[in-house]
Amino acid sequence: MFSRNLRNICRRYSQNVTFRTVEASPAQQNDNQIGLFYTMDKNLSKKLFGQGGLPKSYMKQTKTFTETSLMVRQPALDVIECIKSSDLNQPAIRYVLYGEMGTGKTLTLAHLIHYAHDDGFLIVHVPGVSQWLWKVPRLKEMSNSQTREGFVDLPLDAAAWLLHFKSQNQVLLKNEDLKISKEYVWSKRETTPAGAPLADLVEQGIARVKYACDVIDALVYEIKQLSNNNKCKTFVAVDGYNCFFYPRTRLSTPTKKVVMSEEVSLTTSFMEITKNDWKNGVIVVTVEDISVPRDHQESYLPRYLLYKKGFEHLDPFVPVKVDRYSEKEFLTCASYYRDRLWLRGPEQLESELKLASACNPYKFMELCAPL
Amino acid sequence: MRNLTLILLNRCQSQLSRCAFNSTVKITQNRFYSRPTSFPDYYQNPIFRKEDQAKLIENNDLSKLATTPFRPPASYETSSVYHDPIVNKVINHVMEDGKKQLARSLVEKAFENIKRIQIERYHLATTPEEKSKIILSPKDVLHKAIENCKPLLQLTPIKRGGITYQVPGPITEKRSLFLAIKWLLDAANEKDRTVHFPEQFAWELLDAANNTGKVVKRKQDLHRQCEANRAYAHYRWQ
Repeated sequence: MFSRNLRNICRRYSQNVTFRTVEASPAQQNDNQIGLFYTMDKNLSKKLFGQGGLPKSYMKQTKTFTETSLMVRQPALDVIECIKSSDLNQPAIRYVLYGEMGTGKTLTLAHLIHYAHDDGFLIVHVPGVSQWLWKVPRLKEMSNSQTREGFVDLPLDAAAWLLHFKSQNQVLLKNEDLKISKEYVWSKRETTPAGAPLADLVEQGIARVKYACDVIDALVYEIKQLSNNNKCKTFVAVDGYNCFFYPRTRLSTPTKKVVMSEEVSLTTSFMEITKNDWKNGVIVVTVEDISVPRDHQESYLPRYLLYKKGFEHLDPFVPVKVDRYSEKEFLTCASYYRDRLWLRGPEQLESELKLASACNPYKFMELCAPL
Repeated sequence: MRNLTLILLNRCQSQLSRCAFNSTVKITQNRFYSRPTSFPDYYQNPIFRKEDQAKLIENNDLSKLATTPFRPPASYETSSVYHDPIVNKVINHVMEDGKKQLARSLVEKAFENIKRIQIERYHLATTPEEKSKIILSPKDVLHKAIENCKPLLQLTPIKRGGITYQVPGPITEKRSLFLAIKWLLDAANEKDRTVHFPEQFAWELLDAANNTGKVVKRKQDLHRQCEANRAYAHYRWQ
């Protein structure tokens, strides 16, 4: 009798792996919390990622799990540590997150954005480049740029991005210090005078969708100026950055000519902000093979995905590899799934799933789904 | 000589590890060979479940089977923890044109939908009693649904005096399982074009597990018909 009780207690304790941490602020997290899940505030996640930024499958999970939880992982902590210890008065440092499909590059980026938000950075976050250039519907709203010869505008996407930018930086945009340096003339009657707040510029783009692309261009210039003048510090995050360098896009002009990616005005704007000719900024980009078509998915390494052009554009950068789950991470993830009722069944299941998923986070989640 | 014994030993070991004679033949685990296979009749069906093998070891039957020839287990006959013969059966019924991978993905997607719906219900439930009533495992939902859909009687057309009578009679276990799965799939396929199969299948399974819905009604209709035709029952043997 006693031995059975003891066995039960032992089993309960062995199952009871700690998988949560109460430390919800990424700036405070340290190596002790690696592999543990922290829960993001509901309002905050809505504010930061309400308009995109988290993968679709993950959004589904947040609904099922009734919370937005992220695992604290080594790559994110490394980058945060680097950002903390680097001197922002030097030219902006670029970090490139890379790794296999499904290892959590986008979620690492989300973690970093949370950190940037808490630390008072102005966030310039592009949730999915591939939705602009490659994974597009057949009839996409596009027009020839009126200000730049030979360029193509994506006004609706640009306006949607401005909305995203606005919702991510609600607090900072109210800051009176953020003023624009020069006058912008949009048409005969519409101008944005010099010294107007940055929020006005954003509003202009949202209200007049026609000029959204030009507004983004101006916004990028202004953000760089403001950062250079120490008015704000900026965190640039681009998901699927390599899509900018894949030569073709799926867009075509009314004359059936395929648009090249460098002919899209949004590309030039975001290429501009990822240069390191400005200070007070941090640039984190991810390169992922699924944002480009199948014929260019042979490797997930940055040099292959960015081509020579993109590699030289980003050089020098800090490569950060996002890897599959380690032993411990897998265990905590499994117990988290068990807690959220996502994974059920006998204990042997985990070892089998571990082999079947090869510790790939996304595959693990997928394999758990029908169980 | 030494070589020969080695080969024999190897063969026995490989057979033992993969399969052993299946003494308790279950309906769902029998493989159906529609055409002559390369294996003669005296080849036995494989025993691929660890539990069954453990039973053999316990009863000391393993040594008897060491020299018996066996068919190799199919790719879906695994000793995995998630192996389930009924699920396998359903997948095979969903399959069209031998596209098993697609069929499997559809059934798994339906399971995922069931799971999401049930977890959502679980979180919405307020009292522990309500929570304990919700079946969270999609496989259990499927088992319950099939159990609820199995008919107990069937009607067979029998011709007497130029008139065909629908005569009620008992049904075999195998056929009632077949009908249950077939009806569930029929109900799931009866949908709008905009609704996907996994979604509809999930709803049908949940309904059937709850003892409501189209399929259970179909079963009850059949029972009612059998009850109405009980006067013809004697035609079965006359």
